[in-house]
Amino acid sequence: MEAESSPVPSLEELRALARAQGVEPSDADLEGVLRFLGTVLPSLRELEEATPRDVPPAGMYLPDPEAT
Amino acid sequence: MTLVALAAAIERGELSPREAVQNALDRIEHRDGAYNSFITVRAEEALAEADALPAKTGPLHGVPIGIKDVIDVAGTRTTAASKVLAENIAAADATVVARLRRAGAVVVGKLNTHEFAWGASTTSEAFGPARNPWDTERICGGSSGGSGAAVAASLVPGALGTDTAGSVRIPAALCGVTGIRPTTGRVPNRGVIPVSWTYDTVGPLARTAEDCALLLDTIAGPEPEDASTTPAVGPPCLEGIGRGAEGVRIGVVAHLLEGVPIDPRVADAVEAAIRELERIGAKVERVDAPFLRRAEVVQQLVMLPEAAEAHLPWLRTRLPDYGADVRARLLAGLLLPSSAPVTGQRARRSLAEEARPLFERYDLLASPEMPIVAPRIGEDPVQVGRERIAYRLSLIPFNSPWSCLGVPTASVPCGLVDGLPVGLALTGRRLGEATVLRVAHAFQQATDWHERRPADAV
Repeated sequence: MEAESSPVPSLEELRALARAQGVEPSDADLEGVLRFLGTVLPSLRELEEATPRDVPPAGMYLPDPEAT
Repeated sequence: MTLVALAAAIERGELSPREAVQNALDRIEHRDGAYNSFITVRAEEALAEADALPAKTGPLHGVPIGIKDVIDVAGTRTTAASKVLAENIAAADATVVARLRRAGAVVVGKLNTHEFAWGASTTSEAFGPARNPWDTERICGGSSGGSGAAVAASLVPGALGTDTAGSVRIPAALCGVTGIRPTTGRVPNRGVIPVSWTYDTVGPLARTAEDCALLLDTIAGPEPEDASTTPAVGPPCLEGIGRGAEGVRIGVVAHLLEGVPIDPRVADAVEAAIRELERIGAKVERVDAPFLRRAEVVQQLVMLPEAAEAHLPWLRTRLPDYGADVRARLLAGLLLPSSAPVTGQRARRSLAEEARPLFERYDLLASPEMPIVAPRIGEDPVQVGRERIAYRLSLIPFNSPWSCLGVPTASVPCGLVDGLPVGLALTGRRLGEATVLRVAHAFQQATDWHERRPADAV
């Protein structure tokens, strides 16, 4: 299934999200984040769709019989 | 002289710990101006510590070692090559440093790094770039670039680096030394500034696989009070390192030689190294594993928010003090959707399941460590075969799969292109460092790439 396009948040939405966490980035900082999100959000959506829903998250270390 | 040879010479009484340490300090003083591999040199402290060593300590008795400047050494500043921590004095030794000291090693200084160990060029805005001893106009790789440069230039016989997404392996490859990223969790991270809890590990860089085996045996092992370590114990690496490569099953990861951008001359050098492994007895075959490319996104989705969380107090108060590239990545991690790290960790488990048959069928996987030789300082994008791409993007396919899987992987010198080193990556099963280093050692017994030195090294 082809991934749907992922809406990228606006600069003001990103600024509000950063402020909510106590961080005050500049406009230039946020424009860099927007560019990054423009490339990573479609990949995130593809990965969501490629990973079966019943797979739980890995922990810090992969379970492996050899390691036990 | 290799680290193992120096330790043996001290053991035989051919030189004292003080002489070994003084020799290293002299080399650093006279030659590191060209490389900028050290941020802090502990000259007085190191000599005093060498003098104070008991008559007999351990296998590293009197051996001078450099430590990447994200790893704490008590009483010495840990800057992470950042303005943010420029005056940060460590209160205690990191566990790995304490273990090195117990084995008799003497820490001569703290080594340059990409800011906060998060980047692959070691060009700190605050402390200046580390320069590659093979060509000082070129980068050392990173983030453990100072560690790679200091070993390549023979300033120290061994060093510790850290590796989250290639930071031991990349400088090892670009500087022509040997380095290993151990199984995640095999080496304690306590006292190390984190990038990403999921992926971080300390690892050694030295001239040879045998040197790395000695260093890794010294620093590895569970630490019950440190949640960053796994309780599992892997076999020791130095013991049995001479058993050769006969019968070892090696899968050559085909898409990393043919399916992603790579300088064809680098690919040729790696292919020649693989033929050499076959000649010394390994059973080699090509393996298709294109699913490993998913690791490139998986690693980012987990690493970015983990790093942002680790840095949050400083992001609130010191944001302008970060270099531009690291600040951009940290903010991206802060502002990713909250689902990103969960999706990343679920996809990481799925990737591990898919990769499991590979590690059942093969003892090792082989691939290029990097698609190119060291770029010039400031050169970005870089030419990779027929393509020009961002330096950071060029290296991700070669490094992220092994970080995501948490498996041990070493870079071994295997050729020169335009007079610059090329690295062969050998990747093993979880806790399979002994096999990785045994085959790397066998390769080094059959070749002399690890003995090639930059013109200025002694």
